[in-house]
Amino acid sequence: MTDPLHSLTLAHYLFTGAVLFVLGVIGFISRRNLIIMFLCTEMMFQGVAVTLVAFSRYHQNDTGQTFVIFLLTIAAAEAALALGLVVLLFRRRRTLDAQAWGEMKG
Amino acid sequence: MTYALYIASVVGAAALLLMMPRPGYNPRFLGGLLGAATLGGLWLYLSREMPYETGLARSAMACYYIFSAIAIGSAVRVITHTRPVYSALWFVMVVLASSGLFLTLNAEFMAFAMVIIYGGAILVTYVFVIMLAAQAGDADAADSPEYDRVAREPLMAVAVGFLLLAALLSVAFNPNAIVPNPAARGLTDEQIISGDGAILPNRLDAALAGKLAGSANGISTEELAPTRQLHNVERVGLDLFRNHPLGLELAGVILLVSLVGAVVIARKRVDEPGDPPASTTGNA
Repeated sequence: MTDPLHSLTLAHYLFTGAVLFVLGVIGFISRRNLIIMFLCTEMMFQGVAVTLVAFSRYHQNDTGQTFVIFLLTIAAAEAALALGLVVLLFRRRRTLDAQAWGEMKG
Repeated sequence: MTYALYIASVVGAAALLLMMPRPGYNPRFLGGLLGAATLGGLWLYLSREMPYETGLARSAMACYYIFSAIAIGSAVRVITHTRPVYSALWFVMVVLASSGLFLTLNAEFMAFAMVIIYGGAILVTYVFVIMLAAQAGDADAADSPEYDRVAREPLMAVAVGFLLLAALLSVAFNPNAIVPNPAARGLTDEQIISGDGAILPNRLDAALAGKLAGSANGISTEELAPTRQLHNVERVGLDLFRNHPLGLELAGVILLVSLVGAVVIARKRVDEPGDPPASTTGNA
């Protein structure tokens, strides 16, 4: 706080994590390719992981990093299931466009 | 202070909007320049009053700025690139850069786990599916299909995203926030080692054995004294296996269920000659 540009703070990492998460959200809303939409959820995971590890370092508490291990597990499981669904949807319509399923209601 | 955050959010939103894929003229370079200027200006302005000191080494400062800039720039390319394969490759850059950020935070295990699991396993799965789903007829097409070249509702998406960012940052940079008491820190290495039912790392035993053997060879026992400092890997491992054994088991169950689920979802039924004529599409 006293020495500008020469002290690394928790807020730096919170900033990076927040930007990564928000870019993931924007990508998930604005992209129309199903695969890129799921890639953007992985980017949100990245932002959360940066935030968790930064808090873990700041509080000297390893549970933050342990939680990132579980986050990786969920990310891997989600990627496997989501990509299986994408392959299934692609076989039905021969396109990856999310708008192709726009008539689904309810 | 907060006004600067809001202004930077608006300018950053405009920069990202310029870079979004759209038909016709694409001012991508202008948007990238504007975004980089916003990021640099925000860092220069905010670094004067960043709260919550971490006490990290000064040398980590340059690494933080480099890795963070790479991560944010690559993340922008992930969501603005019109070709899915390149988006996936830029996402590998995001993973590598955030692993660098973990290294500056002394979280070596998470950094390497991130590279191995994300860069090595998850991204390979994504690239496989992108290749599988690429239309055979489009292989020699000049450009990617229309749904990759035109963003859906870019204005609304960017507005929502940067509203969220402004809200998050105004909380993170709130100078009136309750600063956690630095005395109420987590466990030290000694506390972890001497905990009840503590499993001492093998390194200590090896050092002790070396001490015993070394005393005969005339090596001073002080330099072989067992160190009482845990590595990051040991700290995370002890926390994981001592405090979260149930979560570990559940993680295994989740992985198994998703493995079986992915196989069931994505299998393709091949019609054998003897089978009764079911649906021709043949998906479960």
